[in-house]
Amino acid sequence: MTIVQDEDLRLLRDSVRTLLDRAGGLGRARRLRDGDEPWDAGIWKELAGAGVLAVAAPEEAGGLGMGLVAAGVVAEEVGHVIAPEPVVPTIGLAIGLLHRLCPQDATLEAAIAGDIMLAVAWQERSATGLSDVIECRFDGTTLTGSKDWVVGADGAGQMLVVSEGVHGPALVRVAADASGISTQARKQSDGSALWGLSFATTPAEVLAEGTQLTDALANAVADTTALAAAELVGLSGAALALTLDYIKTRKQFDKPIGSFQVIQHRAVDMNVMQEVAQAAVREALAAMDQAGSALERVRQASRAKARACTAAQKITREAIQLHGAVGYTDEFDVGLLLNRALVLSAWLGDAAFHRRRWLDAKETEVAVQ
Amino acid sequence: MTDWNAISDEDFRREVRAFFEAEYPEELRHLPHRPRFAEIEHWHVKLYAKGWVAPAWPTEFGGMGLGAAKLLIFYEEQQRYGVNRGRDMGIQMVGPLIIKFGTQAQKDYWLPRILTCEDIWCQGYSEPGAGSDLANLRTSAVIDGDDFLINGQKIWTTMAHDATHIFMLVRTDPNAPKKQQGISFVLASMDQPGVDVRTITTLAGETEFCEVFFDDARTPRANLVGEINKGWSMAKALLSFERIFIGSPGLAQNALGQLETFARGRAAFDDPVFRDRYAEVALDVEDHAALYSRFADQLKRGETLGADVSMLKIWVTETYQRISELMIEVAGPDGGSIGPLQVGNIGVDVLASFYKARPTTIYGGSNEIQRNILSKAVLGL
Repeated sequence: MTIVQDEDLRLLRDSVRTLLDRAGGLGRARRLRDGDEPWDAGIWKELAGAGVLAVAAPEEAGGLGMGLVAAGVVAEEVGHVIAPEPVVPTIGLAIGLLHRLCPQDATLEAAIAGDIMLAVAWQERSATGLSDVIECRFDGTTLTGSKDWVVGADGAGQMLVVSEGVHGPALVRVAADASGISTQARKQSDGSALWGLSFATTPAEVLAEGTQLTDALANAVADTTALAAAELVGLSGAALALTLDYIKTRKQFDKPIGSFQVIQHRAVDMNVMQEVAQAAVREALAAMDQAGSALERVRQASRAKARACTAAQKITREAIQLHGAVGYTDEFDVGLLLNRALVLSAWLGDAAFHRRRWLDAKETEVAVQ
Repeated sequence: MTDWNAISDEDFRREVRAFFEAEYPEELRHLPHRPRFAEIEHWHVKLYAKGWVAPAWPTEFGGMGLGAAKLLIFYEEQQRYGVNRGRDMGIQMVGPLIIKFGTQAQKDYWLPRILTCEDIWCQGYSEPGAGSDLANLRTSAVIDGDDFLINGQKIWTTMAHDATHIFMLVRTDPNAPKKQQGISFVLASMDQPGVDVRTITTLAGETEFCEVFFDDARTPRANLVGEINKGWSMAKALLSFERIFIGSPGLAQNALGQLETFARGRAAFDDPVFRDRYAEVALDVEDHAALYSRFADQLKRGETLGADVSMLKIWVTETYQRISELMIEVAGPDGGSIGPLQVGNIGVDVLASFYKARPTTIYGGSNEIQRNILSKAVLGL
């Protein structure tokens, strides 16, 4: 893997930021939340055109080969304006699976070009929550069973489904308009939806099978987890900036409230939390690009997500408190950030889950040595 | 003479580590208290023979001449192996002060005596009425013939009872328009009738801090360092490197290692509640190190650090305290016991670690003062 130059990352950051700011910044997230479309197809094409979806995929799979460090830059910028387009699930999960399993498949090229949107269905629900086993069955031609916690199913042209096939685990492709699919959307705090999908002898086509799928899925999920952490870092940076602006201008007792020491110290704690989170997540992404073992990638991903969730939750909640009553209204943008932080924190495991997994991975590494 | 800055960081780290591991006395590793000079003199002799007493000083004055990057490595290795810093006020503060602001005569006389530890220095900054508000200091130095006549009181003077000399901030112009003006740097002997030292017993039962009383004590006017009434800005200039050093990960990393050893011995890792809290502090340490590297890289690129470096100190000292508190929880009913608790054949002194962590959020500019600095200089509030 090549080392990406700081200058390349800076250019990437500038171009993504300019594109998203020109599109409407944070205000666009509110418009889309209140509108009928889940995201903006035109912006999606623009992002793809700027190479945003290609950054992490290796060059031999049609990507730019800039690694997770570059994808993290993209994710931070997406988080900064809480862009509703599924950039991280697409780069991390959909493209992450395809470039590992079937780099020559035409779908990968189309996905990188933004011509097709792919939703990845890999988790299943049991009576008590997340299921440990895959029960969705693929018989060689059709798929039967249920998946849950699917992101972006509403705009997807195809779905990539992890199922139990004839020869062990199988990744299959299903057209969104295929027969026998029923969907159930659960609305989330940020206006997006998580989807439950049911398949009844739905026509499907196999893409990959066996242990290579298990490995690729573990790696793609680790990537996506770390990129979600980067998205949270961008988000909490925006919450901090909004709050600093607000406490410098809002006056009470004839003074800006930011002149009161109690407010100052709380703002400093938000800032310190943000700087630690940003440094830790960027270091974790760089370590994953260089990592020798799958276990180390998992450990770094968990480290990143644990930190980013903790920071984003603390910062967005403090942001509401420091805005006072207006922070509790829907009218102020700071609430959009809190609502998005709730969704991103819950997705792929929260801070407590990842602290647990980080320690387990660390102990396993020590035991293996 | 070796040009340390010319060799690679990795080679330098290896060399420093090898020297400490080969030469540093085992019984002095990770000392829980500040030693008197006599206790560590045999180590100082080795360090002196190696020419490594003053890592940061230029080579022309007998230092190693290390640049910022190498200096950080040196201190990281020192902390990692639990090498005591020794009585290093002369090395860390007085030497740089004289090198930067002193006369040729002061350099010629004082610097060699610092290296040999012929003179042992203590720092006279804080006073009963001048803690966080240091510029409020009142100890006066009045010109009297060829001498300054010194009257007043210093406090929290670390190891003053084991020092031969004191470098101090004194008020030389009580009528200056701002309290930061009218402060000067002077050097004085501790061995004179006008100086009285009383030790202060800490919560840990130790006597490393002192009060120092000056009652018509004298020091020659030649012992003024730099310009008269300009001591405040000189003191600030001296702190630039200390600001990253005081926020370095070493103390917290060592404490975390101790916590892990102790908790494994006590089977605490079987408890899911402990596991979560351990993971929390362990990640606090690991993620702090990521931020620390960012600042260290800035230094390595030759950039000056801004006020934002204060966040390192806030984070690492508060993490250090949480680690030491968790250690007490793991100790359970032994949590109030003085002295080492045995786990296997290792003794872990839980209370010593707890006590050692407490003043870290107070000294070097309390964490509240650090927050004031960040608020003003970084956030613009």
